[in-house]
Amino acid sequence: MGTVLVRLVRAEWTKLFSTRVWIGLLLGACVLSGAFAALFTGFAGNPDSGLPALGTPEYERLAFSLPTNVIVISVVLGVIGMTQEYRHRTATPTFLATPQRGRVVLGKLLAYAVVGVGFAVVVCAVTLLVVLLYGNARGSAPSLNGENLEVLANAGLALVIYVVIGIGLGALLKNQVGAIVAALVYLFVVEPLLRSIPATAGAYKWLPGGALEAMTATFEGPDLLGQWQGAALLLGYGLLAALLGTLLAVRRDVV
Amino acid sequence: MRVEVNGLTKTFGTVRAVDDLSFTVEPGQVTGFLGPNGAGKTTTLRMALGLITPDTGTTTFNGTPYPALPEPMRQVGAVLETAFHPARSGRDHLRVYCRATGLPVERADAVLDQVGLGPAGRRRAGGYSLGMRQRLGLATALLGDPSVLVLDEPANGLDPEGIQWLRGFLRHLAHDQGRTVLVSSHLLAEVEQTADRVVIVGAGRLVRQGSLAELRSGAGDAGSVLVRSPQVAQLAELLRSTGTTVSATDSAADGLTVTGISTDEVGRRAFGAGIELHELRAHTSGLEEVYFRLTAGQEQYAAGRTDDVTQGAS
Repeated sequence: MGTVLVRLVRAEWTKLFSTRVWIGLLLGACVLSGAFAALFTGFAGNPDSGLPALGTPEYERLAFSLPTNVIVISVVLGVIGMTQEYRHRTATPTFLATPQRGRVVLGKLLAYAVVGVGFAVVVCAVTLLVVLLYGNARGSAPSLNGENLEVLANAGLALVIYVVIGIGLGALLKNQVGAIVAALVYLFVVEPLLRSIPATAGAYKWLPGGALEAMTATFEGPDLLGQWQGAALLLGYGLLAALLGTLLAVRRDVV
Repeated sequence: MRVEVNGLTKTFGTVRAVDDLSFTVEPGQVTGFLGPNGAGKTTTLRMALGLITPDTGTTTFNGTPYPALPEPMRQVGAVLETAFHPARSGRDHLRVYCRATGLPVERADAVLDQVGLGPAGRRRAGGYSLGMRQRLGLATALLGDPSVLVLDEPANGLDPEGIQWLRGFLRHLAHDQGRTVLVSSHLLAEVEQTADRVVIVGAGRLVRQGSLAELRSGAGDAGSVLVRSPQVAQLAELLRSTGTTVSATDSAADGLTVTGISTDEVGRRAFGAGIELHELRAHTSGLEEVYFRLTAGQEQYAAGRTDDVTQGAS
Protein backbone atom coordinates (compact mmCIF):
# COMPACT_ATOMS: atom_id res chain seq x y z
CA MET A 1 0.00 0.00 0.00
CA GLY A 2 2.77 2.41 0.95
CA THR A 3 4.79 1.86 -2.21
CA VAL A 4 1.64 1.94 -4.30
CA LEU A 5 0.78 5.37 -2.90
CA VAL A 6 4.30 6.63 -3.55
CA ARG A 7 3.95 5.49 -7.18
CA LEU A 8 0.58 7.18 -7.55
CA VAL A 9 1.86 10.42 -6.03
CA ARG A 10 4.81 10.40 -8.44
CA ALA A 11 2.45 9.67 -11.35
CA GLU A 12 0.38 12.72 -10.37
CA TRP A 13 3.49 14.89 -10.26
CA THR A 14 4.50 13.63 -13.71
CA LYS A 15 1.01 14.54 -14.96
CA LEU A 16 1.12 18.00 -13.42
CA PHE A 17 4.63 18.96 -14.48
CA SER A 18 4.41 17.54 -18.02
CA THR A 19 1.98 20.27 -19.09
CA ARG A 20 2.43 23.99 -18.56
CA VAL A 21 -0.73 24.70 -16.58
CA TRP A 22 1.19 24.89 -13.31
CA ILE A 23 3.51 27.61 -14.63
CA GLY A 24 0.55 29.79 -15.55
CA LEU A 25 -1.14 29.28 -12.20
CA LEU A 26 2.05 29.92 -10.24
CA LEU A 27 2.91 33.07 -12.24
CA GLY A 28 -0.65 34.31 -11.88
CA ALA A 29 -0.54 33.77 -8.12
CA CYS A 30 2.84 35.54 -7.84
CA VAL A 31 1.66 38.55 -9.82
CA LEU A 32 -1.63 38.72 -7.93
CA SER A 33 -0.13 38.37 -4.46
CA GLY A 34 2.71 40.78 -5.33
CA ALA A 35 0.22 43.34 -6.59
CA PHE A 36 -1.93 43.02 -3.46
CA ALA A 37 1.13 43.44 -1.24
CA ALA A 38 2.25 46.50 -3.19
CA LEU A 39 -1.21 48.11 -3.15
CA PHE A 40 -1.78 47.53 0.56
CA THR A 41 1.67 48.81 1.42
CA GLY A 42 1.35 51.78 -0.94
CA PHE A 43 -2.01 52.87 0.43
CA ALA A 44 -1.30 52.01 4.07
CA GLY A 45 -2.24 54.95 6.29
CA ASN A 46 -3.91 56.77 3.40
CA PRO A 47 -7.06 58.23 4.98
CA ASP A 48 -9.16 57.57 1.85
CA SER A 49 -8.21 53.89 1.70
CA GLY A 50 -9.22 53.10 5.26
CA LEU A 51 -6.09 50.98 5.62
CA PRO A 52 -4.13 51.08 8.88
CA ALA A 53 -0.86 53.00 8.83
CA LEU A 54 2.57 51.44 8.32
CA GLY A 55 4.19 50.29 11.51
CA THR A 56 0.90 49.56 13.31
CA PRO A 57 0.25 45.96 14.40
CA GLU A 58 -3.06 46.10 12.45
CA TYR A 59 -1.26 46.87 9.20
CA GLU A 60 1.35 44.16 9.76
CA ARG A 61 -1.27 41.56 10.52
CA LEU A 62 -3.19 42.55 7.40
CA ALA A 63 -0.08 42.52 5.22
CA PHE A 64 0.89 39.03 6.32
CA SER A 65 -2.60 37.67 5.67
CA LEU A 66 -2.57 38.89 2.05
CA PRO A 67 -1.65 35.49 0.52
CA THR A 68 -5.25 34.37 1.27
CA ASN A 69 -6.34 36.61 -1.61
CA VAL A 70 -5.10 33.98 -4.07
CA ILE A 71 -6.99 31.03 -2.56
CA VAL A 72 -9.05 31.06 -5.75
CA ILE A 73 -5.93 29.95 -7.65
CA SER A 74 -5.44 27.16 -5.10
CA VAL A 75 -8.96 25.94 -5.78
CA VAL A 76 -8.43 26.11 -9.54
CA LEU A 77 -5.20 24.10 -9.20
CA GLY A 78 -7.03 21.36 -7.30
CA VAL A 79 -10.03 21.41 -9.64
CA ILE A 80 -7.83 21.09 -12.73
CA GLY A 81 -5.81 18.30 -11.10
CA MET A 82 -8.95 16.24 -10.70
CA THR A 83 -11.16 17.23 -13.62
CA GLN A 84 -8.48 16.94 -16.32
CA GLU A 85 -8.94 13.19 -15.99
CA TYR A 86 -12.55 13.52 -17.07
CA ARG A 87 -12.06 16.39 -19.50
CA HIS A 88 -9.40 14.57 -21.49
CA ARG A 89 -10.88 11.16 -20.75
CA THR A 90 -7.64 9.96 -19.15
CA ALA A 91 -9.77 8.63 -16.29
CA THR A 92 -9.94 5.46 -18.40
CA PRO A 93 -6.20 4.66 -18.49
CA THR A 94 -5.79 6.01 -14.95
CA PHE A 95 -8.41 3.66 -13.51
CA LEU A 96 -7.15 0.81 -15.71
CA ALA A 97 -3.71 1.22 -14.17
CA THR A 98 -5.19 1.48 -10.67
CA PRO A 99 -8.65 -0.09 -10.41
CA GLN A 100 -8.78 0.82 -6.71
CA ARG A 101 -10.10 4.28 -7.40
CA GLY A 102 -9.96 5.38 -3.78
CA ARG A 103 -6.19 5.04 -3.99
CA VAL A 104 -6.10 7.22 -7.10
CA VAL A 105 -7.96 10.02 -5.31
CA LEU A 106 -5.82 9.56 -2.18
CA GLY A 107 -2.69 9.75 -4.35
CA LYS A 108 -3.99 12.95 -5.92
CA LEU A 109 -4.75 14.47 -2.50
CA LEU A 110 -1.27 13.71 -1.21
CA ALA A 111 0.47 14.81 -4.41
CA TYR A 112 -1.44 18.08 -4.60
CA ALA A 113 -1.09 18.77 -0.87
CA VAL A 114 2.69 18.65 -1.34
CA VAL A 115 2.44 20.78 -4.48
CA GLY A 116 0.17 23.12 -2.50
CA VAL A 117 2.89 23.53 0.14
CA GLY A 118 5.38 24.55 -2.55
CA PHE A 119 2.80 26.89 -4.06
CA ALA A 120 2.06 28.45 -0.67
CA VAL A 121 5.75 28.93 0.12
CA VAL A 122 6.31 30.79 -3.15
CA VAL A 123 3.22 32.98 -2.73
CA CYS A 124 4.11 33.79 0.89
CA ALA A 125 7.69 34.55 -0.10
CA VAL A 126 6.54 36.96 -2.83
CA THR A 127 4.18 38.69 -0.40
CA LEU A 128 6.84 38.92 2.29
CA LEU A 129 9.44 40.22 -0.16
CA VAL A 130 7.19 43.00 -1.53
CA VAL A 131 5.91 43.99 1.91
CA LEU A 132 9.43 44.13 3.38
CA LEU A 133 11.11 45.93 0.48
CA TYR A 134 8.31 48.37 -0.26
CA GLY A 135 7.59 48.93 3.45
CA ASN A 136 11.28 49.58 4.01
CA ALA A 137 11.32 52.05 1.13
CA ARG A 138 8.34 53.85 2.68
CA GLY A 139 10.11 54.01 5.99
CA SER A 140 8.82 51.11 8.08
CA ALA A 141 9.17 47.45 7.21
CA PRO A 142 6.92 45.12 9.28
CA SER A 143 8.68 43.22 12.01
CA LEU A 144 9.07 39.47 11.66
CA ASN A 145 7.82 38.72 15.14
CA GLY A 146 6.21 35.45 16.11
CA GLU A 147 2.66 36.71 15.86
CA ASN A 148 3.12 38.09 12.35
CA LEU A 149 4.86 34.97 11.13
CA GLU A 150 2.02 32.89 12.55
CA VAL A 151 -0.46 34.88 10.48
CA LEU A 152 1.71 34.31 7.40
CA ALA A 153 2.01 30.60 8.12
CA ASN A 154 -1.75 30.31 8.59
CA ALA A 155 -2.36 32.10 5.32
CA GLY A 156 -0.03 29.60 3.65
CA LEU A 157 -1.80 26.69 5.31
CA ALA A 158 -5.12 28.00 4.00
CA LEU A 159 -3.67 28.00 0.48
CA VAL A 160 -2.78 24.31 0.88
CA ILE A 161 -6.20 23.38 2.28
CA TYR A 162 -7.99 25.13 -0.60
CA VAL A 163 -6.02 22.99 -3.08
CA VAL A 164 -7.44 19.93 -1.29
CA ILE A 165 -10.92 21.46 -1.41
CA GLY A 166 -10.42 21.99 -5.16
CA ILE A 167 -9.61 18.29 -5.63
CA GLY A 168 -12.78 17.31 -3.77
CA LEU A 169 -14.88 19.82 -5.69
CA GLY A 170 -13.47 18.53 -8.99
CA ALA A 171 -14.27 14.94 -8.03
CA LEU A 172 -17.80 15.97 -7.11
CA LEU A 173 -18.59 17.96 -10.25
CA LYS A 174 -16.29 16.28 -12.82
CA ASN A 175 -16.87 19.13 -15.27
CA GLN A 176 -13.83 21.42 -15.27
CA VAL A 177 -15.46 24.64 -16.38
CA GLY A 178 -18.49 23.98 -14.20
CA ALA A 179 -16.36 23.36 -11.12
CA ILE A 180 -14.25 26.49 -11.66
CA VAL A 181 -17.32 28.67 -12.26
CA ALA A 182 -19.00 27.19 -9.18
CA ALA A 183 -15.91 27.98 -7.10
CA LEU A 184 -15.73 31.56 -8.40
CA VAL A 185 -19.43 32.20 -7.80
CA TYR A 186 -19.23 30.74 -4.32
CA LEU A 187 -16.08 32.63 -3.30
CA PHE A 188 -16.96 35.99 -4.81
CA VAL A 189 -20.76 36.12 -4.66
CA VAL A 190 -22.31 33.64 -2.26
CA GLU A 191 -19.96 33.98 0.69
CA PRO A 192 -19.72 37.80 0.65
CA LEU A 193 -23.53 37.94 0.48
CA LEU A 194 -24.00 35.55 3.37
CA ARG A 195 -21.40 37.51 5.29
CA SER A 196 -23.15 40.83 4.81
CA ILE A 197 -26.79 39.80 5.30
CA PRO A 198 -27.54 40.13 9.03
CA ALA A 199 -29.83 37.09 9.06
CA THR A 200 -27.06 34.78 7.80
CA ALA A 201 -24.02 36.57 9.18
CA GLY A 202 -24.16 34.39 12.29
CA ALA A 203 -23.79 31.23 10.21
CA TYR A 204 -20.94 32.69 8.18
CA LYS A 205 -18.32 31.75 10.75
CA TRP A 206 -19.10 28.08 10.06
CA LEU A 207 -18.48 28.44 6.31
CA PRO A 208 -15.06 27.96 4.68
CA GLY A 209 -14.70 31.72 4.25
CA GLY A 210 -15.50 32.32 7.92
CA ALA A 211 -13.01 29.65 8.92
CA LEU A 212 -10.41 31.25 6.66
CA GLU A 213 -11.01 34.67 8.23
CA ALA A 214 -10.73 33.18 11.70
CA MET A 215 -7.34 31.71 10.79
CA THR A 216 -5.87 35.08 9.92
CA ALA A 217 -8.40 37.30 11.80
CA THR A 218 -7.67 40.69 10.29
CA PHE A 219 -10.67 42.97 10.09
CA GLU A 220 -13.23 43.50 12.77
CA GLY A 221 -16.21 41.78 11.30
CA PRO A 222 -18.80 39.19 12.12
CA ASP A 223 -17.96 37.09 15.13
CA LEU A 224 -15.53 34.35 14.21
CA LEU A 225 -14.17 31.12 15.60
CA GLY A 226 -10.80 30.97 17.26
CA GLN A 227 -7.71 30.71 15.09
CA TRP A 228 -7.14 27.00 15.49
CA GLN A 229 -10.83 26.20 15.40
CA GLY A 230 -10.95 27.99 12.06
CA ALA A 231 -8.01 25.98 10.76
CA ALA A 232 -9.56 22.72 11.93
CA LEU A 233 -12.93 23.62 10.37
CA LEU A 234 -11.33 24.52 7.05
CA LEU A 235 -9.33 21.32 7.05
CA GLY A 236 -12.57 19.49 7.83
CA TYR A 237 -14.15 21.02 4.73
CA GLY A 238 -11.17 19.92 2.66
CA LEU A 239 -11.36 16.36 3.93
CA LEU A 240 -15.14 16.23 3.55
CA ALA A 241 -14.88 17.35 -0.08
CA ALA A 242 -12.16 14.78 -0.66
CA LEU A 243 -14.16 12.00 0.99
CA LEU A 244 -17.32 12.77 -0.99
CA GLY A 245 -15.27 13.03 -4.16
CA THR A 246 -13.61 9.68 -3.49
CA LEU A 247 -16.92 7.94 -2.84
CA LEU A 248 -18.39 9.35 -6.04
CA ALA A 249 -15.31 8.55 -8.13
CA VAL A 250 -15.41 5.00 -6.85
CA ARG A 251 -19.06 4.48 -7.61
CA ARG A 252 -19.50 6.24 -10.92
CA ASP A 253 -19.16 4.36 -14.18
CA VAL A 254 -16.38 5.52 -16.48
CA VAL A 255 -18.05 5.51 -19.88
CA MET B 1 -4.44 -16.21 -19.91
CA ARG B 2 -8.07 -17.12 -20.50
CA VAL B 3 -10.83 -14.53 -20.39
CA GLU B 4 -14.28 -15.64 -19.31
CA VAL B 5 -17.28 -13.38 -19.63
CA ASN B 6 -20.16 -14.73 -17.66
CA GLY B 7 -23.76 -13.48 -17.78
CA LEU B 8 -22.97 -9.78 -18.10
CA THR B 9 -26.01 -7.53 -18.04
CA LYS B 10 -26.19 -3.74 -17.97
CA THR B 11 -29.13 -1.41 -18.32
CA PHE B 12 -28.78 2.32 -18.91
CA GLY B 13 -32.12 3.91 -18.10
CA THR B 14 -34.59 1.94 -20.18
CA VAL B 15 -32.02 0.64 -22.66
CA ARG B 16 -30.65 -2.82 -22.00
CA ALA B 17 -27.18 -2.32 -23.47
CA VAL B 18 -25.88 -5.78 -22.63
CA ASP B 19 -28.14 -8.73 -21.96
CA ASP B 20 -26.89 -11.88 -20.25
CA LEU B 21 -23.76 -12.05 -22.38
CA SER B 22 -21.31 -14.93 -21.94
CA PHE B 23 -18.31 -15.94 -24.02
CA THR B 24 -14.71 -17.00 -23.64
CA VAL B 25 -11.48 -15.77 -25.16
CA GLU B 26 -8.60 -18.20 -25.50
CA PRO B 27 -4.86 -17.54 -25.46
CA GLY B 28 -2.78 -17.88 -28.61
CA GLN B 29 -5.61 -16.68 -30.79
CA VAL B 30 -6.99 -13.45 -32.10
CA THR B 31 -10.67 -13.27 -31.19
CA GLY B 32 -12.84 -10.82 -33.11
CA PHE B 33 -15.64 -9.21 -31.11
CA LEU B 34 -18.15 -8.29 -33.77
CA GLY B 35 -21.43 -6.47 -33.80
CA PRO B 36 -23.12 -3.43 -35.29
CA ASN B 37 -22.63 -0.02 -33.70
CA GLY B 38 -24.66 0.17 -30.51
CA ALA B 39 -24.66 -3.60 -30.00
CA GLY B 40 -23.01 -3.19 -26.59
CA LYS B 41 -19.40 -4.03 -27.46
CA THR B 42 -17.79 -1.07 -25.74
CA THR B 43 -20.01 -1.42 -22.68
CA THR B 44 -19.06 -5.09 -22.45
CA LEU B 45 -15.34 -4.35 -22.66
CA ARG B 46 -15.63 -1.58 -20.06
CA MET B 47 -17.47 -3.91 -17.72
CA ALA B 48 -14.84 -6.59 -18.25
CA LEU B 49 -12.16 -4.08 -17.19
CA GLY B 50 -13.96 -2.80 -14.11
CA LEU B 51 -14.72 0.65 -15.50
CA ILE B 52 -18.46 0.09 -15.60
CA THR B 53 -20.20 -1.88 -12.86
CA PRO B 54 -22.45 -4.54 -14.43
CA ASP B 55 -25.97 -5.08 -13.06
CA THR B 56 -25.15 -8.77 -12.95
CA GLY B 57 -22.43 -11.05 -14.25
CA THR B 58 -18.67 -11.32 -13.97
CA THR B 59 -15.57 -11.27 -16.11
CA THR B 60 -12.45 -13.12 -15.04
CA PHE B 61 -8.87 -13.30 -16.26
CA ASN B 62 -7.62 -16.79 -15.41
CA GLY B 63 -10.26 -16.80 -12.71
CA THR B 64 -9.59 -13.35 -11.27
CA PRO B 65 -11.70 -10.24 -11.90
CA TYR B 66 -9.75 -7.29 -13.34
CA PRO B 67 -9.86 -5.04 -10.25
CA ALA B 68 -8.49 -7.90 -8.13
CA LEU B 69 -5.52 -8.56 -10.41
CA PRO B 70 -2.21 -7.61 -8.83
CA GLU B 71 -0.61 -5.06 -11.19
CA PRO B 72 -3.42 -5.28 -13.78
CA MET B 73 -1.52 -3.34 -16.46
CA ARG B 74 1.19 -5.99 -16.42
CA GLN B 75 -1.38 -8.69 -17.17
CA VAL B 76 -4.04 -7.02 -19.28
CA GLY B 77 -3.46 -4.19 -21.76
CA ALA B 78 -6.46 -2.30 -23.07
CA VAL B 79 -7.02 0.24 -25.83
CA LEU B 80 -10.51 1.61 -25.27
CA GLU B 81 -10.32 5.09 -26.73
CA THR B 82 -7.65 7.56 -27.63
CA ALA B 83 -7.47 9.24 -24.23
CA PHE B 84 -4.62 11.60 -23.45
CA HIS B 85 -3.99 15.19 -22.43
CA PRO B 86 -3.44 17.15 -25.67
CA ALA B 87 -0.69 19.32 -24.15
CA ARG B 88 1.32 16.33 -22.87
CA SER B 89 3.81 14.58 -25.12
CA GLY B 90 3.20 10.97 -26.03
CA ARG B 91 6.31 10.01 -24.12
CA ASP B 92 5.24 11.82 -20.95
CA HIS B 93 1.76 10.28 -21.26
CA LEU B 94 3.37 6.84 -21.20
CA ARG B 95 5.71 7.81 -18.36
CA VAL B 96 2.71 8.72 -16.20
CA TYR B 97 1.47 5.14 -16.42
CA CYS B 98 4.96 3.73 -15.96
CA ARG B 99 5.08 5.57 -12.65
CA ALA B 100 1.56 4.54 -11.65
CA THR B 101 2.34 0.86 -12.23
CA GLY B 102 5.90 0.91 -10.96
CA LEU B 103 7.45 0.18 -14.35
CA PRO B 104 10.80 1.74 -15.27
CA VAL B 105 10.19 4.91 -17.32
CA GLU B 106 12.44 3.49 -20.06
CA ARG B 107 9.47 1.27 -21.00
CA ALA B 108 7.89 4.39 -22.49
CA ASP B 109 10.61 4.66 -25.13
CA ALA B 110 10.56 0.92 -25.78
CA VAL B 111 6.83 0.79 -26.56
CA LEU B 112 7.01 3.99 -28.62
CA ASP B 113 9.54 2.26 -30.85
CA GLN B 114 7.46 -0.91 -30.87
CA VAL B 115 4.45 0.88 -32.37
CA GLY B 116 6.57 3.03 -34.67
CA LEU B 117 5.98 6.29 -32.83
CA GLY B 118 9.55 6.83 -31.60
CA PRO B 119 10.33 10.03 -33.53
CA ALA B 120 7.03 11.69 -32.48
CA GLY B 121 7.33 10.78 -28.80
CA ARG B 122 8.45 14.19 -27.61
CA ARG B 123 5.76 16.09 -29.51
CA ARG B 124 2.47 17.19 -27.96
CA ALA B 125 -0.06 14.39 -28.36
CA GLY B 126 -2.71 16.95 -29.34
CA GLY B 127 -0.93 17.39 -32.66
CA TYR B 128 -0.98 13.68 -33.51
CA SER B 129 -2.96 12.36 -36.45
CA LEU B 130 -5.76 9.90 -35.81
CA GLY B 131 -3.51 7.01 -36.73
CA MET B 132 -0.77 8.20 -34.39
CA ARG B 133 -3.31 8.49 -31.58
CA GLN B 134 -4.35 4.88 -32.12
CA ARG B 135 -0.70 3.87 -31.98
CA LEU B 136 -0.23 5.80 -28.73
CA GLY B 137 -3.23 3.99 -27.29
CA LEU B 138 -1.71 0.68 -28.33
CA ALA B 139 1.62 1.72 -26.83
CA THR B 140 -0.13 2.44 -23.51
CA ALA B 141 -1.65 -1.03 -23.56
CA LEU B 142 1.73 -2.63 -24.27
CA LEU B 143 3.57 -0.82 -21.43
CA GLY B 144 3.20 -3.65 -18.96
CA ASP B 145 4.02 -6.38 -21.52
CA PRO B 146 0.62 -7.96 -20.78
CA SER B 147 -0.47 -11.47 -21.71
CA VAL B 148 -3.97 -10.26 -22.62
CA LEU B 149 -4.72 -7.44 -25.05
CA VAL B 150 -8.17 -5.93 -25.36
CA LEU B 151 -8.69 -3.48 -28.23
CA ASP B 152 -11.87 -1.55 -28.95
CA GLU B 153 -12.16 -0.62 -32.64
CA PRO B 154 -8.40 -0.14 -33.00
CA ALA B 155 -8.52 0.26 -36.77
CA ASN B 156 -10.61 3.44 -36.62
CA GLY B 157 -8.62 6.23 -38.18
CA LEU B 158 -5.74 4.07 -39.31
CA ASP B 159 -4.68 4.42 -42.94
CA PRO B 160 -4.58 1.26 -45.08
CA GLU B 161 -0.91 0.81 -44.34
CA GLY B 162 -1.57 1.19 -40.61
CA ILE B 163 -4.37 -1.38 -40.75
CA GLN B 164 -2.08 -3.80 -42.54
CA TRP B 165 0.59 -3.24 -39.89
CA LEU B 166 -1.92 -3.67 -37.06
CA ARG B 167 -3.19 -6.98 -38.47
CA GLY B 168 0.30 -8.38 -38.68
CA PHE B 169 1.15 -7.05 -35.24
CA LEU B 170 -1.89 -8.60 -33.55
CA ARG B 171 -1.31 -11.95 -35.28
CA HIS B 172 2.30 -11.86 -34.15
CA LEU B 173 1.28 -11.15 -30.54
CA ALA B 174 -1.21 -14.03 -30.51
CA HIS B 175 0.30 -16.68 -32.73
CA ASP B 176 4.02 -16.20 -32.12
CA GLN B 177 3.92 -14.98 -28.52
CA GLY B 178 0.88 -16.89 -27.30
CA ARG B 179 -0.95 -13.86 -25.97
CA THR B 180 -4.72 -13.54 -25.73
CA VAL B 181 -6.01 -10.91 -28.15
CA LEU B 182 -9.58 -9.65 -28.17
CA VAL B 183 -10.33 -7.05 -30.82
CA SER B 184 -13.71 -5.46 -31.38
CA SER B 185 -15.04 -4.11 -34.65
CA HIS B 186 -18.33 -3.40 -36.35
CA LEU B 187 -16.87 -4.45 -39.70
CA LEU B 188 -16.39 -8.10 -40.46
CA ALA B 189 -13.88 -7.32 -43.19
CA GLU B 190 -11.63 -5.73 -40.59
CA VAL B 191 -11.25 -8.86 -38.49
CA GLU B 192 -11.80 -11.43 -41.24
CA GLN B 193 -8.11 -11.50 -42.10
CA THR B 194 -6.86 -11.33 -38.53
CA ALA B 195 -9.19 -13.30 -36.29
CA ASP B 196 -9.15 -17.02 -35.62
CA ARG B 197 -12.39 -16.90 -33.70
CA VAL B 198 -15.29 -14.51 -33.62
CA VAL B 199 -17.84 -13.58 -30.99
CA ILE B 200 -20.82 -11.89 -32.64
CA VAL B 201 -23.22 -9.75 -30.61
CA GLY B 202 -26.39 -7.96 -31.57
CA ALA B 203 -28.55 -5.78 -29.32
CA GLY B 204 -26.46 -6.78 -26.32
CA ARG B 205 -26.94 -10.51 -26.79
CA LEU B 206 -24.62 -13.21 -27.99
CA VAL B 207 -25.55 -14.14 -31.56
CA ARG B 208 -22.81 -16.61 -32.37
CA GLN B 209 -19.36 -17.59 -31.21
CA GLY B 210 -16.99 -19.95 -32.92
CA SER B 211 -14.01 -20.22 -35.19
CA LEU B 212 -14.01 -18.22 -38.37
CA ALA B 213 -13.63 -21.49 -40.30
CA GLU B 214 -16.82 -22.85 -38.76
CA LEU B 215 -18.72 -19.73 -39.62
CA ARG B 216 -17.34 -19.76 -43.15
CA SER B 217 -18.29 -23.37 -43.82
CA GLY B 218 -21.81 -22.63 -42.62
CA ALA B 219 -22.00 -19.73 -45.01
CA GLY B 220 -21.84 -21.84 -48.19
CA ASP B 221 -23.24 -20.00 -51.18
CA ALA B 222 -24.92 -17.33 -49.12
CA GLY B 223 -22.95 -14.61 -50.86
CA SER B 224 -24.06 -12.64 -53.85
CA VAL B 225 -22.57 -12.61 -57.34
CA LEU B 226 -22.46 -9.69 -59.72
CA VAL B 227 -22.68 -10.50 -63.40
CA ARG B 228 -22.80 -8.26 -66.48
CA SER B 229 -23.79 -9.41 -69.92
CA PRO B 230 -25.16 -7.92 -73.18
CA GLN B 231 -27.73 -10.75 -73.15
CA VAL B 232 -28.93 -9.91 -69.67
CA ALA B 233 -32.58 -10.95 -70.10
CA GLN B 234 -31.58 -14.33 -71.49
CA LEU B 235 -29.14 -14.86 -68.65
CA ALA B 236 -31.71 -13.94 -66.02
CA GLU B 237 -34.15 -16.41 -67.60
CA LEU B 238 -31.55 -19.16 -67.55
CA LEU B 239 -30.60 -18.61 -63.92
CA ARG B 240 -34.19 -18.28 -62.70
CA SER B 241 -35.11 -21.56 -64.37
CA THR B 242 -32.87 -23.34 -61.86
CA GLY B 243 -34.35 -21.57 -58.87
CA THR B 244 -31.65 -18.95 -58.36
CA THR B 245 -32.70 -15.57 -56.99
CA VAL B 246 -31.98 -12.88 -59.54
CA SER B 247 -32.42 -9.15 -59.24
CA ALA B 248 -31.38 -6.26 -61.44
CA THR B 249 -28.50 -4.18 -60.14
CA ASP B 250 -29.21 -0.55 -59.60
CA SER B 251 -25.95 0.56 -61.19
CA ALA B 252 -26.07 -0.85 -64.71
CA ALA B 253 -28.81 -1.89 -67.09
CA ASP B 254 -26.83 -4.90 -68.27
CA GLY B 255 -26.03 -6.14 -64.78
CA LEU B 256 -27.58 -8.71 -62.44
CA THR B 257 -27.13 -9.55 -58.79
CA VAL B 258 -27.51 -13.24 -58.18
CA THR B 259 -27.62 -14.95 -54.82
CA GLY B 260 -27.43 -18.59 -53.79
CA ILE B 261 -24.97 -19.54 -56.47
CA SER B 262 -21.20 -19.45 -56.86
CA THR B 263 -19.35 -17.51 -59.55
CA ASP B 264 -18.09 -20.82 -60.96
CA GLU B 265 -21.62 -22.05 -61.42
CA VAL B 266 -22.83 -18.86 -63.11
CA GLY B 267 -19.91 -19.01 -65.49
CA ARG B 268 -20.45 -22.66 -66.29
CA ARG B 269 -24.13 -22.18 -67.11
CA ALA B 270 -23.56 -19.08 -69.18
CA PHE B 271 -20.87 -20.88 -71.16
CA GLY B 272 -23.15 -23.87 -71.67
CA ALA B 273 -25.91 -21.62 -73.03
CA GLY B 274 -23.52 -19.61 -75.16
CA ILE B 275 -24.19 -16.36 -73.30
CA GLU B 276 -21.48 -13.74 -73.50
CA LEU B 277 -20.31 -12.36 -70.12
CA HIS B 278 -18.56 -9.02 -69.62
CA GLU B 279 -18.11 -9.26 -65.91
CA LEU B 280 -18.46 -11.93 -63.27
CA ARG B 281 -17.41 -11.43 -59.68
CA ALA B 282 -18.35 -12.21 -56.09
CA HIS B 283 -20.06 -9.14 -54.64
CA THR B 284 -20.25 -10.06 -50.97
CA SER B 285 -18.66 -13.09 -49.43
CA GLY B 286 -20.84 -15.72 -47.85
CA LEU B 287 -19.41 -14.80 -44.48
CA GLU B 288 -20.43 -11.20 -44.88
CA GLU B 289 -23.95 -12.28 -45.79
CA VAL B 290 -24.09 -14.47 -42.70
CA TYR B 291 -22.80 -11.66 -40.47
CA PHE B 292 -25.29 -9.26 -41.98
CA ARG B 293 -28.18 -11.66 -41.49
CA LEU B 294 -27.16 -12.50 -37.93
CA THR B 295 -27.05 -8.90 -36.90
CA ALA B 296 -29.70 -7.38 -39.18
CA GLY B 297 -32.12 -5.09 -37.40
CA GLN B 298 -30.19 -5.30 -34.14
CA GLU B 299 -28.61 -1.87 -34.19
CA GLN B 300 -29.97 0.37 -31.48
CA TYR B 301 -30.26 3.15 -34.02
CA ALA B 302 -30.83 1.45 -37.35
CA ALA B 303 -30.93 3.49 -40.53
CA GLY B 304 -33.88 3.11 -42.85
CA ARG B 305 -33.48 0.41 -45.49
CA THR B 306 -32.00 1.79 -48.67
CA ASP B 307 -34.84 0.25 -50.72
CA ASP B 308 -37.37 2.38 -48.90
CA VAL B 309 -35.32 5.47 -49.46
CA THR B 310 -34.67 5.03 -53.17
CA GLN B 311 -38.10 3.83 -54.20
CA GLY B 312 -39.64 7.28 -54.33
CA ALA B 313 -36.78 8.64 -56.41
CA SER B 314 -36.95 6.06 -59.20
